[in-house]
Amino acid sequence: MRFEEQLVELLPRLRRFARGLAGSAGDADDLCQAAIERALKSRDQWQNGTRLDSWMYRITRNLWIDERRAAGRRGVHTPIDDAITQIAGDGAAEVEAGALRGDVDGAMARLPDEQREVVMLVLVEGYAYREAAAILEVPIGTVTSRLARGRETLMHLLGEAA
Amino acid sequence: MTFDPATVAAFVDGELDDLTARRIAREAESDPALAAEIARHRALKARLTTHFAPIAEEEPPQRLRALLVDDQVDTSLADRREARRARFAPIHWGAIAASLVLGLTIGLRPWMPAAGVVDANGALVASGTLAEALDTQLASNQPADAAVRIGLSFRDETGRYCRSFEGDGLAGIGCREGSRWTLERTLRGETRPAYRQAASGDLAADAAAMMAGAPLDAAAERVARDKGWAD
Repeated sequence: MRFEEQLVELLPRLRRFARGLAGSAGDADDLCQAAIERALKSRDQWQNGTRLDSWMYRITRNLWIDERRAAGRRGVHTPIDDAITQIAGDGAAEVEAGALRGDVDGAMARLPDEQREVVMLVLVEGYAYREAAAILEVPIGTVTSRLARGRETLMHLLGEAA
Repeated sequence: MTFDPATVAAFVDGELDDLTARRIAREAESDPALAAEIARHRALKARLTTHFAPIAEEEPPQRLRALLVDDQVDTSLADRREARRARFAPIHWGAIAASLVLGLTIGLRPWMPAAGVVDANGALVASGTLAEALDTQLASNQPADAAVRIGLSFRDETGRYCRSFEGDGLAGIGCREGSRWTLERTLRGETRPAYRQAASGDLAADAAAMMAGAPLDAAAERVARDKGWAD
């Protein structure tokens, strides 16, 4: 199958992953667009026979991390930061948990970036630990510890019944 | 016997070796705290999966598709459909099954939504409505208009719970592995009654071949479901 066709097949899943990372639909599709453009430009770096999905997820994730870091350096307040500030202003952790009960997007936005990406890859996208580790280029132990912390936070924020 | 939280999480993620997974499942039967912990993890996972699933079912915006598809050239739906049918790689079957479950046609929906069935590390795994039906629906008590109908529930030779199912677009047998239903058999479902009957017959024969002992009766099916198909 042609490279482009394979990307078209991947696109729905990639959009889901991007949404989990970026939070908003518009930012997620911008991220997807940047990832596709990057992939088309560097298609020579993808080795036919290896998994295109892992490669695309890595590109997407790296672009997103780059953007977050650049925004951080510029001191840009993303909507995510605003949400955190607002919630933190309410004070007690219980108020925070109560306010977010049922709000998966809000709870995901509370996670540090490195936990959110692991949660998306393993719990939503269904990657095995070692595959997630390969995509993120970190050891498996890093994946499991970040996943554990992300899970605990989400369970707390979304309520016992999750 | 106690299991540390990382092991319980790995169990729910389907990351443990068979032996350890079975020990946990068995232990959970007599250890309510462990069972509750497993249920808590499963609930979170289900919550997240359900929340994000609709995004993968949407039609990607034109601005993204336009980067990849030259619509001027690629106009023959029939050719494309044929070409796709001719390929048998697992990922294609996953995507085809997914779109069938949605009642969509590949040629009309080339972006291939991924509901009902997903490709997880090369294995076909139930998701969305199908996963929910396999998780919760009892053959003895299903709504007349259920999108997915459950047939037989049984244990296979390796001790896994397996369930046969039929939907409009897809029929098959799913077997429980960790927190997932791996699809062991898939048949393209047909809405025409004659075909449906034929598919039922094939599935029943497949189920009989896989089964260890007798299928679960209504009471056993309920018990197994309430335990989350673990053990």
